[in-house]
Amino acid sequence: MSISTPGGPERRPTVVSTGKKPAAGRPASGAKAGTGKPAATPRAGGKGPRKPVTPVKVSQGRAWGPIALFVTVGVLAAGIIGYGAWASFQGSKPWDKKANAIDGIVNIRKTDKTSLEYESHKSGPLTYKYSPPVGGVHNAAWQNCMGDVYDAPIANEHAVHSLEHGAVWITYRPDLPKDQVEKLAGKVRGVEKMLMSPYEGLDKPISLQAWGYQLKVDNADDKRIDEFIKDLRVNASVEGPTALCNTGITATGTTPRELQQQPPTQ
Amino acid sequence: MTAPATTDTEHDDVVAAPDEGGRAPARRYGLAALAVMVVVGLLLGYAGGLLTPRLVRPGDSSVEAGFARDMTTHHAQAVEMSLIAYRSATLPEVRQIAVDIATGQQGEIGAMQTWLREWGLSPTGSKPPMSWMSDGATVKDGLMPGMATPQQMASLRDAKGIEVDRQFLKLMYDHHLGGIHMIDAALGETDHAEVVRVAQTMKNTQQTELNNLRQLQAQAKG
Repeated sequence: MSISTPGGPERRPTVVSTGKKPAAGRPASGAKAGTGKPAATPRAGGKGPRKPVTPVKVSQGRAWGPIALFVTVGVLAAGIIGYGAWASFQGSKPWDKKANAIDGIVNIRKTDKTSLEYESHKSGPLTYKYSPPVGGVHNAAWQNCMGDVYDAPIANEHAVHSLEHGAVWITYRPDLPKDQVEKLAGKVRGVEKMLMSPYEGLDKPISLQAWGYQLKVDNADDKRIDEFIKDLRVNASVEGPTALCNTGITATGTTPRELQQQPPTQ
Repeated sequence: MTAPATTDTEHDDVVAAPDEGGRAPARRYGLAALAVMVVVGLLLGYAGGLLTPRLVRPGDSSVEAGFARDMTTHHAQAVEMSLIAYRSATLPEVRQIAVDIATGQQGEIGAMQTWLREWGLSPTGSKPPMSWMSDGATVKDGLMPGMATPQQMASLRDAKGIEVDRQFLKLMYDHHLGGIHMIDAALGETDHAEVVRVAQTMKNTQQTELNNLRQLQAQAKG
């Protein structure tokens, strides 16, 4: 009250003078700021001359600060939440969607489903439609796929059984440079549901197989190799994530082996 | 104090002063209220997001819980007979399929037990076995469909030579038939995506194995 009282008399001349000369409004508002009033009040006084318009203009001007703040915070929050949602959505995309997004992958589950169907295990040599094969009938024995790196070709009839159990089988042309072979082996060794072997007659230097999927690439540095492994290893299993890769055939040679008769331990 | 002061001062400012003095605090309170509402809304949404999975997850007497518990029991016997066959069967193909069944089903037990823990349920149910199945499956002497009797298990343990193969193949064949019957019942009554996915994989695997078991039965006869 005591502040406003001196302000009052000061004010009256201000209003009067601004009514005549707009320029006089400015010193008046400067003087009023000195009285310690809320910042908005001087502004209202300053714009006094345009009386009917003043209230509207003032209210608009006053709201911009908070609006800008809220919009900024809102946009930031929406951006952060949106990115999080997008990232988690991408991360939780089903494996088959991710696999299908790999450039150049062949999805035989879609294009040729019947080639993967079979009744029961079949012994002896079998013929396959795709080279290297990606599924279908196979021997009772599977190729050991506990991160095994085979230095010689192996039997399709065993490897296909490994694919059924969720293994990714890397094959490469025997003339692939040694450093590239070593690069591929680095992705296999010690990793269950992985196996690798040279393969005669490949039309591309490297071919990757999972049950119903194939990807052929030219170079061991191709980034799609890691994508293929990440998306299809274990996931492509027909018999769930715990189908066996151990207790399989560990010998090489393209002729399928009959399981060795072992004397029962009991 | 400030409010009357402002009104007082700006009273002479004709329309501007009272109008403005009345609006500014209201707008400030409006912003504050809006901010509070946004925060409360976010908190409610967060709480809802936290609570919803708890409220919609399968309950203690649900089909999903019954299936997880009973299929665990069912699988456990398959693992036991398979490991006996893996150790003692004569035909290498029989030992091979036996170890595949044993580890595969033990893995599935792990998945089913994880469901129960995630749903906040006990691995043991208070209801009798198979009561989740609406089509009235028969439980004989506490045994679910396809399970071997204690006498059959004792006989398998004592068997020697090719007799292990024969008994195992017969027991496991019946075991799978009963298992598929239970899986079908669960699939018919649940739309829980994860349960459906695992149950469907189980069924496909056991159906393929039935063919392989039958083929081996013929081989073991000779």
